[in-house]
Amino acid sequence: MTISTQPDQQANSRIGKAIAWSDLISIAAAVFVLLIISLIVDPYLAYVATSWVIFGIVGLSLDLVWGRAGVLSLSQTAFYGLGGYAGSIAAINFSYLTGNTLIWSLPVGMLVGGVVAAFISWIIFYGRMGVLQTTILTYTFTLVLWTATVSFSTKVGKAVVGGDNGMSNIPPMILGLGDAAKQLEPNAMLVTVVLIAAILYALCKALAKSPFGLIIDCIRLDPVKAELLGYDIRRYQLILFTIAGGIAGLAGSLFAAWSNYLNPSIFNVQEALSIPIYVLVGGRGTLVGAFVGALAVGGLSFWLGGGVIGGQTTLVMGVCLILLVLFMKSGLLGGLAQLFALFRSKREAKQAPIDQTEQRVKIDFDLLDKIRLHANTNSQSVELSSVDALKSFGGVTPVNRVTQSFKKGKVRCVIGPNGAGKSSYLKALAGTYKLDAGQIKFGQRDITHADPFDRVRQGLGIKMQKAQVFDDLDVRTNLWIAAYSRDRNREEADRVSGGMLKMLGMVAQGSKPASQLSHGEQQWLDIGMVLCLSPDVMLFDEPAAGMTKDERRQLSQLIKTLSKSAAVVVVEHDMDFVRTLDADVTVLHQGEVFAQGDIEVLRKDERILDIYLGRRKHVQAH
Amino acid sequence: MEIDYLLVVLLSSLTSASVLIIATLGLAVIFGLMGVVNLAHGEFIMFGAYTALVVTRSGVPFSIAVIVAALVTALFGAIVERVIIRRLYGRLLDTLLATWGLSLVLYQSAVLIFGSVTPGIGMPQSNVRIGDYTISSYMLFLLGVAIVLVLALYWLLTKTGYGIVARAAIQDSETASAIGIESGRINTMTFALGSGLAGFAGAILLPAVPATPGMGFAFVIKAFLTVVVAGPVTLTGTVLAGGLLGSAANIVASFWTTVAGNIVFFMLTMGLLRLYPNGITARWNRKL
Repeated sequence: MTISTQPDQQANSRIGKAIAWSDLISIAAAVFVLLIISLIVDPYLAYVATSWVIFGIVGLSLDLVWGRAGVLSLSQTAFYGLGGYAGSIAAINFSYLTGNTLIWSLPVGMLVGGVVAAFISWIIFYGRMGVLQTTILTYTFTLVLWTATVSFSTKVGKAVVGGDNGMSNIPPMILGLGDAAKQLEPNAMLVTVVLIAAILYALCKALAKSPFGLIIDCIRLDPVKAELLGYDIRRYQLILFTIAGGIAGLAGSLFAAWSNYLNPSIFNVQEALSIPIYVLVGGRGTLVGAFVGALAVGGLSFWLGGGVIGGQTTLVMGVCLILLVLFMKSGLLGGLAQLFALFRSKREAKQAPIDQTEQRVKIDFDLLDKIRLHANTNSQSVELSSVDALKSFGGVTPVNRVTQSFKKGKVRCVIGPNGAGKSSYLKALAGTYKLDAGQIKFGQRDITHADPFDRVRQGLGIKMQKAQVFDDLDVRTNLWIAAYSRDRNREEADRVSGGMLKMLGMVAQGSKPASQLSHGEQQWLDIGMVLCLSPDVMLFDEPAAGMTKDERRQLSQLIKTLSKSAAVVVVEHDMDFVRTLDADVTVLHQGEVFAQGDIEVLRKDERILDIYLGRRKHVQAH
Repeated sequence: MEIDYLLVVLLSSLTSASVLIIATLGLAVIFGLMGVVNLAHGEFIMFGAYTALVVTRSGVPFSIAVIVAALVTALFGAIVERVIIRRLYGRLLDTLLATWGLSLVLYQSAVLIFGSVTPGIGMPQSNVRIGDYTISSYMLFLLGVAIVLVLALYWLLTKTGYGIVARAAIQDSETASAIGIESGRINTMTFALGSGLAGFAGAILLPAVPATPGMGFAFVIKAFLTVVVAGPVTLTGTVLAGGLLGSAANIVASFWTTVAGNIVFFMLTMGLLRLYPNGITARWNRKL
């Protein structure tokens, strides 16, 4: 099968590239229309609509962390409020210097929102807190601010923060410079806010399309795998959370300038609740959905004219949130996209039946040699070893004083009956389990306390028992993300992932989402991702599971080839597969090393048959 | 400093920790046995408080009103589980959002029905003298209530069929359903139990904490943080975390202001969570 390199290079170069011109043009067109509308609408409507756009910006900040990174933060209004207060304090004190107010309030609001968000996310992400804990912590943060600010009074320069009485005399939006600069008229205010929102949106869109955004997508889809590809996921989450906090803070100072007044109700629960509603109405993960939602909700209540739901906003919002969550998961934009996708897939199904014969995975060993040759220019033989490694969970000790070392040359298989501790040992080597005692060394370096991503960066490659691929991303992007981790260079990642795709014989499936692959193909893709990292030591947990006989044969050959240039450790159940690997074998039993040596010798060992078959003698040895 | 003063500070810290534990147990049970956090927990407490208030004012003795409030809130919880929570299994964040919406609905409904200020119930105030100081006897009574409640829950979860099945279901839901445990019914019961505990808390605390529509928000900050700090070992964790955080906040609050107590509570939680991100009991071997 010959494949021209032209089309996939083109496809490649789109991955992780900055925002496309077509996107920028459509944003510009939308903004242009909005600006025209902003200029001609009734000034009162323009005044009210300004606040919707501001709420949309807060929604954007939530969608960034919730829609893209999968972390539901209920403290976006806290960053928004803090940014509002801080920005206003700056504007009150300094705007006499310039006349322009936003020049002071926007950066300060953004800075304060970002710094506070960074602190909160440092606690959350660097503590590796769970999803639930994250949401609860952010919610309580908002509640604490709400109760604290009610009785918090202070004076900062000329600005008076008056607890429950709030802060008044916040300077309005002034763009001009000097003493003669005038307050913006409502229509001009709307234009300004729309422009700011458009810039923020374009920046967020560009961020989402950049390699950073792709990595954030991967963290949402599978944080464990993202870390096993060598990405310090905590850092990415912290940076994203900080950016979102900054955006919320900026929106807060815009809001303060719009209303000229702030009080602690900005931190209250009703305020906080409306933000996820905007995002849900518009469509989560779309970024632009936040604005759609804010405009739709704001416009609807404006049109209904306050009186209808008047005092019962809270009640209506609560009910809306429940209904949205129950019945409208993907929002307005999501619903449209689904309709469109349905329409398109029907048409496509008619057009081109996919050729099934081309979809079989086939390793191209010539290419493999080239890729490996390139990878191993600098590494001498690196050795991974564990010394008295011990891991226990309460009463169970799945890894009990295991001392082993792994070098390149010959494949090493770790075998043992169910529950022998094979996978646990591998996880201890990978760092997803932290040892209770003992040591793990990589070359000369002690990596006992290193995080998984750190070990991967040192040159460890890990494939866990269950094939881990990023479901929503296509096959090519899966490989690209793995390759990008190594050099952080887009061209290099294009090259390596393109080569890997060809080596695996998966070019035809390149643009298929990974979720549509068969179980065996996902295993290959996962292995391919590990290979993209060009590791010096590779750990494979049951790589042959779900593969056909022919695929197993190829896998066996692949592993043997790899072992010439890297240390390869394979955990396996399947004895026939182990025999084809021509490997040194370590037998684990109840967390301990039970026997070690050549597979043919071990096969004749009665004791090993005993533990495999559960026969009396050695089963109760411990 | 005299011994009677120290004793009073100690007792008042213990009692405020008891209040916290009483208010948190319902949330902890739902979290521990269902893996779901009910953001409307505070409003369930309020629900119980208002139920007890209405029942007492119609002439029923307070002690019976407490039981009625617990049962009515449990029933309400069962309905909520059937109508909302059940549809959202496996969608953790959506469950949070839906219960959050519910919390606001309940809050606003209470404002509509009862107004924002309500009369308390006329309970005779009695105090216990300790040296030169006095301490409310009802608060001392709450200390006893907390102890009895924890023991009763321990019994319920370890010695009754429901408790054993519920714990089995959370530990290994696949095996549980394979041996014929209906996780749907168990979840309804667990959610009802947690809600009932919240209702009980609102009612039993009524003489100390008057019913207001916003009372839930005041409770939940501490209750949520306690559950998160407690971690996976439901009962022991809640008692430990509640005891620690509750008394610390009380000491700060008695020397300074309630708001300062809240802030210290929050900061302390942040510190503890930085050290034990998944709760202080995350690495424990015990299960309850």
